[in-house]
Amino acid sequence: METGNSFTKRFVMERKPQTIWRAPHALWFFAMGVGGALYLNRALLGIEMGRLWGLSLADLLSLALISVGGLILISDLGQPLRFWRALANPRYSWISVGAICDFVFLFLDVLVILPDLEIGGGRPLAGLPWAGGAFLGTAMEVVAGVAALIVIVYPGLVLSYSPSIPFWNTALIPLQFLAYAFASALGLALIYGATGLAPPASSQTWLLLLGGILALCLLLFVAHLLGAAYTRATARESARLLVSGHLAAPFLGGGLVLGLAVPLLAVLFARPWAGGPPDTVLVLLAGALTLPGNLLSKYGVIRAGIYPPFL
Amino acid sequence: MPRWGMVIDLTRCVGCYACTMACKVENGTPPGIWYAPVYEKELGHYPTVKRLFIPALCNHCHDAPCVKACPSGALRKREDGIVVVDQDRCCGSRACMAACPYGALHFYAKEEGEYGPERTAFEQAFYKPYKVGTVQKCTFCAHRIDRGVLTPACVETCPTGCRVFGDLSDPDSEVSHLIRRRNGVQARPEAGTCPSVFYLR
Repeated sequence: METGNSFTKRFVMERKPQTIWRAPHALWFFAMGVGGALYLNRALLGIEMGRLWGLSLADLLSLALISVGGLILISDLGQPLRFWRALANPRYSWISVGAICDFVFLFLDVLVILPDLEIGGGRPLAGLPWAGGAFLGTAMEVVAGVAALIVIVYPGLVLSYSPSIPFWNTALIPLQFLAYAFASALGLALIYGATGLAPPASSQTWLLLLGGILALCLLLFVAHLLGAAYTRATARESARLLVSGHLAAPFLGGGLVLGLAVPLLAVLFARPWAGGPPDTVLVLLAGALTLPGNLLSKYGVIRAGIYPPFL
Repeated sequence: MPRWGMVIDLTRCVGCYACTMACKVENGTPPGIWYAPVYEKELGHYPTVKRLFIPALCNHCHDAPCVKACPSGALRKREDGIVVVDQDRCCGSRACMAACPYGALHFYAKEEGEYGPERTAFEQAFYKPYKVGTVQKCTFCAHRIDRGVLTPACVETCPTGCRVFGDLSDPDSEVSHLIRRRNGVQARPEAGTCPSVFYLR
């Protein structure tokens, strides 16, 4: 963090790179997205990843990732001890909405999973009023699910609501964040499935689903780049940086080729629709590559932000 | 209630940076923070090249994106249209800086002097008590306006009179006349922020 801003580094009216959102923010966006998607995959699609002390591993990972994302956000504040003030403007600020949803999700998900806790062969908290399919428990899960969905998309909304940077000012960014988050969460489930702990039929379904999401995600990125290339000169410059400039390696190489195209090819070669158990190496490849790809794509999109000259 | 605004006549600016310095003196801003920079722009191609000076400051937008982006509610619009930041509420997220199309917000990262990590005796006396880890910005010299001095320091200092300050809601004010008569334009109108600063070419 430096004093000043990128505009006044040089008193020249020219395009200025944004220097506020950086690598830690990409990690924050990534952790929040994958965390939220893990929970929703478990709650909506029943994608379980085993249990630890009776608690759903998907939920535990989700809690850990969203906590890490929140801690990165707090540590990046100029006044970290005032983090609670970031909850004060939910009417207008997506960061505020997201921060509130982080806390709501963490609080509710901890409560929701507590009744399943096994200690010494018993479940001491099984008698909690929201345990065992009670209405209260279902309501808490629904609210936590809505919070998780917002946690996935709000970083994208923060960027897309920014009128200052033409490349970000599109609804495609939150959609990209949403699609890639679900792809990475499925990737984690596939890695778990490849270890033999999930039934092979599950891996086939998950792989099919992953293939669809990866194709959608690729389309979203292509649409974004094409849209930028045919709009303002500054957005075109951002797209150029991502495709052939200094951000091509992380974005094009890491985010699109390694994170989307290669896993998509792995899914196609694994032929999950054929019926037999998919090849473990291909499943691992498809699952594992979506994770760094997701992170690198976010890093690229963030760093490609450029302010146009305002006059 | 007035809506304060400024008109900047680009044909008059000679790039002397007096406004930039007057602002620093008036607001006692630390090194690296410039509320009123003057940007240079090269127009044309050799041999018919012209240098344009573009004085800038916070645009005090009617629909200010910084106010919307601020998660802590530290940025707010006063009734007279001036956007101010409450450094006691600011959590330093810098979301406002990312949202501002004009580079008008500045982060104050650490306390240091112009010539090194230690401040000189003059600097200790001169810099205002800005809080480290917060965002700072131009206030149209709201402290002067509140005292009844209706000219920001940059306007008062400008030797060519290229900056004119006044009430945009008054159709008879000098700023309103200038905007009407000389087709004042706002910076980046496509951003939809409706700035209170107009430029005359």
